[in-house]
Amino acid sequence: MINQIPVNLLRFILLLLAQVLVLSNMNFSSFVNPYVFPLFILLLPFETPRWLLMIIGLFAGLTLDIFLGSTGMHAAACLAVGYLRPFLISVITPKGTEFEISPNIHSQGVAWFVFYTGITMLFYLTFYFLLEAATFFNFFLLLVKIVFSTLMSVAFMLIFLFLFSARKKRRFV
Amino acid sequence: MYNLLRFFIRYHLFILFVALEAFCFFLIYRNGKYQKAAYISVANGISGKVYDVYKGGADYFYLRRYSDSLVEENAYLRSQLLESKFDNRVDSGMVSDTSKRFVQTYTYITARVIRNSVNRSTNLIYLDKGRRHGITPQMGVIAPNGIVGQVIDATDDYAAVMSVLSKDFKVSARFKKNEYFGNLHWNGLSSTTAILEEIPKHVPVKEGDTVVTSGYSQMFPRNIMIGVVKKIKSHPDKTFLDVTVALSTDFGNISYVYVAKNLRKQELQQLDSLTKTTNND
Repeated sequence: MINQIPVNLLRFILLLLAQVLVLSNMNFSSFVNPYVFPLFILLLPFETPRWLLMIIGLFAGLTLDIFLGSTGMHAAACLAVGYLRPFLISVITPKGTEFEISPNIHSQGVAWFVFYTGITMLFYLTFYFLLEAATFFNFFLLLVKIVFSTLMSVAFMLIFLFLFSARKKRRFV
Repeated sequence: MYNLLRFFIRYHLFILFVALEAFCFFLIYRNGKYQKAAYISVANGISGKVYDVYKGGADYFYLRRYSDSLVEENAYLRSQLLESKFDNRVDSGMVSDTSKRFVQTYTYITARVIRNSVNRSTNLIYLDKGRRHGITPQMGVIAPNGIVGQVIDATDDYAAVMSVLSKDFKVSARFKKNEYFGNLHWNGLSSTTAILEEIPKHVPVKEGDTVVTSGYSQMFPRNIMIGVVKKIKSHPDKTFLDVTVALSTDFGNISYVYVAKNLRKQELQQLDSLTKTTNND
């Protein structure tokens, strides 16, 4: 359990740098605004208590806010993701599935992860864009932005997962 | 009492969630119009460093482009020198005291862009110069091709600029060929266009007309390029025209900017406060 901390810390730094220096710097278009950073919260160990998920979500979000200059908006969204994560996992996971310590693309499978990240990002980006839009509320623009950004976010998250997930060696029984 | 306690125990997670969300919303809405300003003063110190280091490395890949644009601008500025111009006055016999004729109003501080975005609803640009170099809030920022934005906050070493592509940005703009002016603001749709408001219907405008700063705001000098008219719409039920302006600054590609410092701002502010007190009396 203890060696989960350096792994997650490393993942936090990697995702933060990928988000801040690469993705948020790319400026695809005003409709595509992908975020990979929430993956950090999604990959925390399964047994993380809900209150800790919320606290970690809040501080992770605040860190992202500092870099992107968007006071509290990502913090609010990350916090909500942390709160809803246990609920989401219980909904999309079939009964009787065996868990490893944390979500892993090789043990949970790609389909599961597409659902997991897709639903989370749809929620996250809706929440965030609504907060950000505040004054010029253009429903159509908002919808297009949410859909395209979610698709791109999921794609980038899968790339990240395939690049950095350790495949567990099968033990012989 | 017991029931109340049971309620708290049962819903403690939800209560924690609501409390933390309330804290986030407090952060978001604390500063009203410029939500970011105060927070950025703290944040810029840390994140400014990271961006500075990153940009320092990335800049090497663009050196060619930077120097090309600088050379181009130098050529233009050379053409503006008095030496490059022919004195066309007919009454050349008249002697005027040229040393007093022009008084410096604006000076410029050059700065490098260390962070930029175009796809959010308030796009902030960070500069690598701050209060130590003389940058203060409310100063106008221009690039070689046109206006960029307005400084909203500055730390000792860094400054945050709200770009034209921000929902709260407004600048007084006018047509170059006549004196009609209006307010220019962004509508959030595209990073290449903005909307010019309050142009009466009788004004002769056509596509391709140049839009420049009016110089009324004291933020920018007069006649700084903003863009050209891209589309004009006239609704029968509105008193003003809808003018879409194609911005001349390529916001996705700004590397060096000039921060305009108005040397006569204080005098104008004095006048402002004077007229205010006389009007109140």
